[in-house]
Amino acid sequence: MRLFRFCGDLDCPDWVLAEISTLARISSVKMKLLCVQVIRDLFDEDIDYDKVSKLTSDAKFETGDIKASVAVLSFILSSAAKHDVDSESLSSELQQLGLPKEHTTGLCKSYEDKHSALQEKLKQSSLRLGRLEAVNWRVDYTLSSSELMEVNEPIVQLRLQAQHPESGSTATTVVSVTADKFRVLLTELKQAQAMMNALQ
Amino acid sequence: MIKLLEKIAPAHCPKLLHRVVDGVCGRSYPRRMEYGESWSLNEWEDLMSSLSQLFRVAVGRKCTDQEVQELLGDLDAACTQAVLQCVHARWEEVRQALVNRTSAISSTQLQDFNWQLKLALSSDKLSSLNTPLLNLSLDVRENGVQRAVNIEMNKEELQTLINTLDAANKVVLQLK
Repeated sequence: MRLFRFCGDLDCPDWVLAEISTLARISSVKMKLLCVQVIRDLFDEDIDYDKVSKLTSDAKFETGDIKASVAVLSFILSSAAKHDVDSESLSSELQQLGLPKEHTTGLCKSYEDKHSALQEKLKQSSLRLGRLEAVNWRVDYTLSSSELMEVNEPIVQLRLQAQHPESGSTATTVVSVTADKFRVLLTELKQAQAMMNALQ
Repeated sequence: MIKLLEKIAPAHCPKLLHRVVDGVCGRSYPRRMEYGESWSLNEWEDLMSSLSQLFRVAVGRKCTDQEVQELLGDLDAACTQAVLQCVHARWEEVRQALVNRTSAISSTQLQDFNWQLKLALSSDKLSSLNTPLLNLSLDVRENGVQRAVNIEMNKEELQTLINTLDAANKVVLQLK
């Protein structure tokens, strides 16, 4: 059993192996154009399906073949980026799996161009347990209250909009923070930030 | 009924009064058991609430000694003196407690917060992620019920939060 770096040092899945021969049925130029469409999809842009079916019409691809070739290109590109494989290694591995040299060159060129952007995209789409979307604040000065005649203390009103980890919807929290707690919160966040910056 | 204070020896008064102020400031109130059988349960509860109320009113309304004495009514001189001394000694602490009670007059307050800095190593999308993430957990008290709000932030999000809070902090500092 051969292990492939672009498969995360695992065996190449059977379906990928099978569909690599489907890819070989279209010309290398058209496969490269198909790559462009698949990469659009990986970046959450809309795939142009009319273009895709035109590209594959010469080879008399059926709907199933079209789906399979899009899926296999998508797998190769995203899996290689996931495992940080350089384009030369990817090229040699794909040739070992039987993809013709011209096809491989075209695919690897597209991959090389988009390598870091793809990784950035994968980083961004990695699981996050909530994220901060917006912060609004207002500083109030409390003059007097039913508890204390002369208060004269500032108080901070915060509105935090954060993505909820489970539902993914935005949850808004409005909270009032005393001046003392506010100062401690800010100081500690800065400490945490310094540690975070020291990590890189 | 503050008059109930006369039930213990004047010498023991200051200690009891200070313990009540501790309670007003959010620490523990004295316990009836510690004072033997001086008061019945009802009397004790009565005394504790009247004393707490007295300290809050004296500081909250910035009462003069004369005004505090009026609030105490016909309490005997030794006890009155002990109360006055306690009010003077603990003025700032009680005031701070009242400031906190004042800030609690809003639907949601920040009680406490905790944070955790993590390095995300790998994910199903990217095998070497190496992204630091800060998890900020805010204990928020909303209408008497405590709940936690968790926010996970990456470097950019944390920077945004700090920049925003810094701007607010500038205003707070000007007010102090």
